[in-house]
Amino acid sequence: MTVFLEIEDLTGGYGDATVLFDVTCSLESGQILGVLGRNGVGKSTLARLVQGGLMAHSGDVRLKGRSLTKLPAYARRAVGVGYMPQTSMVFDDLSVYDNLNLGQNKKPLDPYFDLFPRLAERLHQKAGTMSGGERKILAFVRSMIEDTRLIVLDEPSEGVQPENISHMARCIKERASDGAGIILCEQNLTLLREVSDSFLGLDTGRIQLRGTADTLKPEDLREFISL
Amino acid sequence: MASVLLPVSLLLGALLLIPELFGDFVAYQIGLYLIYGIAAQGLGFIWGKTGVLPLGQALFFGVAAYLAASTLKADLPLVLTLAISGLVLCAIGGFAFLLATLIFRGRSESGPYFSLITLALAMIAEQIAGTATSITGGFNGMSGFASLGHLDPFGSYYYVIVGMSVGVSLLLFILNKLPVHLLARAVLDNEPRLQLLGFPTHVIKGAAFAFSALLAALAGGLFASHQGIVTPTSTGFALSAELLILTAVGGRFHVLGPLLGAVIIGWLSAELRDSFPYWELLMAFVFITVVLKAPGGIAEVCEKVLARFMPSASASRQASAIAAPSRTVQAPAKLKFHDVELKIGVVRILNGVSFETPASGVVSIIGPNGAGKTSVLNTITGNLRLTSGRITFGEDVISSRPVYKALNRGIARKLQVPSVFASFSVSENLTIASLAGRVTLADLFRFSTVRWRSSAISKVLNHPKVPLNRLLNEPVAHLSQGHRQFLEYAMTVAAEPALLLLDEPCAGLSPDETALMTELIKQYQETAQRLVIVIEHDMSIVEAISDKVLVLHLGQVLAFDDYSSIRTNPEVQAVYAGGTK
Amino acid sequence: MSTVLILNLAWQISTLALVALGLAIVFGQLRIMNMAHGEFVMLGAYAPFITSSLGLSPWLQVPVCLITVGSIALLMERSIIRHLYGRMFDSLLATWGIAILMREGVELFFGRGYQSVSPPVSGTVSILGTDYPAYRIVVICIILLGFTALYWWSKTSKIANKIKAMVGNPDLAQAVGINTARLSSGAFVFGCCCAGIAGLLLAPTIRIEPMMGLDYLIRSFFALVVGGLGSLEGLAIGTGVIAGTQTVLGAIASQTYGYLSVLTLSILFLWLKPNGVRSSSR
Repeated sequence: MTVFLEIEDLTGGYGDATVLFDVTCSLESGQILGVLGRNGVGKSTLARLVQGGLMAHSGDVRLKGRSLTKLPAYARRAVGVGYMPQTSMVFDDLSVYDNLNLGQNKKPLDPYFDLFPRLAERLHQKAGTMSGGERKILAFVRSMIEDTRLIVLDEPSEGVQPENISHMARCIKERASDGAGIILCEQNLTLLREVSDSFLGLDTGRIQLRGTADTLKPEDLREFISL
Repeated sequence: MASVLLPVSLLLGALLLIPELFGDFVAYQIGLYLIYGIAAQGLGFIWGKTGVLPLGQALFFGVAAYLAASTLKADLPLVLTLAISGLVLCAIGGFAFLLATLIFRGRSESGPYFSLITLALAMIAEQIAGTATSITGGFNGMSGFASLGHLDPFGSYYYVIVGMSVGVSLLLFILNKLPVHLLARAVLDNEPRLQLLGFPTHVIKGAAFAFSALLAALAGGLFASHQGIVTPTSTGFALSAELLILTAVGGRFHVLGPLLGAVIIGWLSAELRDSFPYWELLMAFVFITVVLKAPGGIAEVCEKVLARFMPSASASRQASAIAAPSRTVQAPAKLKFHDVELKIGVVRILNGVSFETPASGVVSIIGPNGAGKTSVLNTITGNLRLTSGRITFGEDVISSRPVYKALNRGIARKLQVPSVFASFSVSENLTIASLAGRVTLADLFRFSTVRWRSSAISKVLNHPKVPLNRLLNEPVAHLSQGHRQFLEYAMTVAAEPALLLLDEPCAGLSPDETALMTELIKQYQETAQRLVIVIEHDMSIVEAISDKVLVLHLGQVLAFDDYSSIRTNPEVQAVYAGGTK
Repeated sequence: MSTVLILNLAWQISTLALVALGLAIVFGQLRIMNMAHGEFVMLGAYAPFITSSLGLSPWLQVPVCLITVGSIALLMERSIIRHLYGRMFDSLLATWGIAILMREGVELFFGRGYQSVSPPVSGTVSILGTDYPAYRIVVICIILLGFTALYWWSKTSKIANKIKAMVGNPDLAQAVGINTARLSSGAFVFGCCCAGIAGLLLAPTIRIEPMMGLDYLIRSFFALVVGGLGSLEGLAIGTGVIAGTQTVLGAIASQTYGYLSVLTLSILFLWLKPNGVRSSSR
């Protein structure tokens, strides 16, 4: 059987500048991979290389044996790769409703509105008028309801209140139990530890820490992130 | 000064040789191109520096040409004619200044719309010129007047044009050395920052537009004498477009670029238009290529070639800084919010915020995302207008005033994302900041003003750990995020404000740099004994610097107290889970 | 008001609305200040000559117009406009150059002089006791039908939101599965084709010459400014005000006054209400 997601020697960055070096890892469907590291170590770069916003300098990303490396972002979305960016994560000029209905979706919205009632209240308001935390939640929900099988999340918890972060954790686990593979780039250790099956620690663009929820102690993670 | 006198005297020499080498007829033709060149230089000045692009410069050219023609028709004594010309130029400049200042007042982004307005004005002028036959002569034009001082357009009048052209170039070269030039470029680079530094940017744009209109009008006046006839084509769309192309292809960033463009294109076009049917096509191609690939035009290409053959001897030696005149220091004052409400569309951002700060000390604002922290600063500086309520600083009501007025009331602000002049060097950034709140109109036209350095900036620079001193000649674009934070901080304290607003000054800083920043903030507060307001997420920083902490939640004040009371306040704990880095 | 004036008003408004619709997409949505928009009207007006010089049946004028205008627009988008998204001033300058290129190109092919074509539908229709050219009535009806269909389609389709999303945040638009390169070329070509078809429809009623585009460009720009960008209602109001002012004042005073008042009106709107009459929705 083919591996769900394989990343092999992935190297890339912005323009000529290389930010991420030789990342190799894999993920099974239904699993959640937590990627941790401080600001500027390459987490977002890894996310964008997988999602297609950046093109790899070398290396390969394969989803169910099919190489994604040459595909532009919209084509990766068509084969089931979802993405929530860290910044500019919503369409400011569109209403909350239009933000959620722009792509091809099939998941019902109501359960998410129950968890995040603020979105339902502001359904016909432009997303650009919402606060930073609210926009994060909107972008998060958008990435959850899409018809995708690999979801790349880049710092969903940044600026979000603790209560909503735990709702997010619930959604992520639910989506994984439906069979989606999830890559979660985060600095929030609480969220990371609550959902991740395995961990990847990045520093200066290289993998410096690897392990599963069983093999890594919480102190290891905390120490890594405050290095 | 050599960098000014050398090109100007070369220009003068070359232009004086033309009648000797090529004869009077060529000189006559070159004279016309030089006239267009003067108008194009004015366009290059406003477009290249401030980024404002007027599309109807022929309006001023044409109106001045018609007025010159009517004056010359009256055949008055030369002195009187010149006096009237001077008055006309002043009137046109004044009109342009009023027009642009009014249009740009209260906004910082109506660029394209301003361009369309100038275009529409030029089209109105063309229409009137064509139809008001009794005044302008209609499509046959206005003619039957002698040239200025009865000079021969094919002979001695050429030297008048050369004199004007060289004079204008000299003036432009000198302007490039003056502080006004820094301000004009700063408008294009970062208009919001310039407003926070206390400069009314709409006036700067108005002045630049007036200057460009003045040059266009001067050219129009010269044109009337040169051609002996003025027709509706001297105003309106086609000539405006022509001037734009001359400026773009010649190079809008260089003083001589538009002049070069006018002469080269004018001459080539006269030579080739009849023999080469694809000439206009070729010009269009060249123009598109310049827009896409070489925004600096011919002048930039020439400069690059010259630089290859003559490597510049000294890479811009740093002139020593001089202390800026001290500012009348404003007395400490209390900041007070009176039931402030702010709505944007249907969204309530601030919901009846009231508090009063001490006149001196550090106040930190904390609260979850979307609580309205940055909006509070925006209302203080006037970036956002209140829906109701008012804000007072000392005795003055400061809410809902234009942003540029904040600094002169002693309020300076550092933005959340470091906002500096990215296309300038570090020392140029510091110079502009040093002008803030001090510079008079006369200072702007003194060479020495560009070397000003405010004492507050010197204090920051002289701190042994601040990394800016060895970066003075670096372009800001090469600076890291952390260095930009320190640069913007230095620029913000330059005017020694009575109220210093800092929006997340430690964002993106390493732990060492964070410690340095907090030290600078405390130092400023202690020596100046003024009010400092800081937005900060990191509770350890809040603890280290704050005299009082303002907690915002959902656009309301949840608590306003000292740090330890805030820390134990159960309401605050319930809504705000602030962690440490 | 006489019946002729009302019919003239309908004729002016409907044809201007079609030209302005194209510009509303290119300028209002894609944020490209296309100074060559009028040249696509001009190109469309030359379609009958292209058709006859190729020896094709007059029935093929519409496809010939669409193919000519569409392919030039596509070429232009792929080679030049592509680099100009988000650079409004540069788009203005580059398309200005393209406009000159197109005018000169047409002049080389067809000469500088005026041309005219006869309408495919001749004769007059009697409406309320007034005889009015049948061709104009047909064109007004076609445009009205077209706009009704467009209005209905825009209410159901996601395309307007997709374009808005793409312009506001291209990276995220790709991430939610929008092929931005194809969408932007498609929108640009569609906008230019609106202008081309308008030119073809106008051809039998005007003098055709290489410089004719400028007037249409200016008036549709001003219609968008007056009406406000981003909605069909605004487009209708803007074209109504601009074409209405020009037609009515042209009839009761003179063409010059009509033209001058349109310019003055536009200046006032640009200055005092730059987002148009429908700006309150922001």
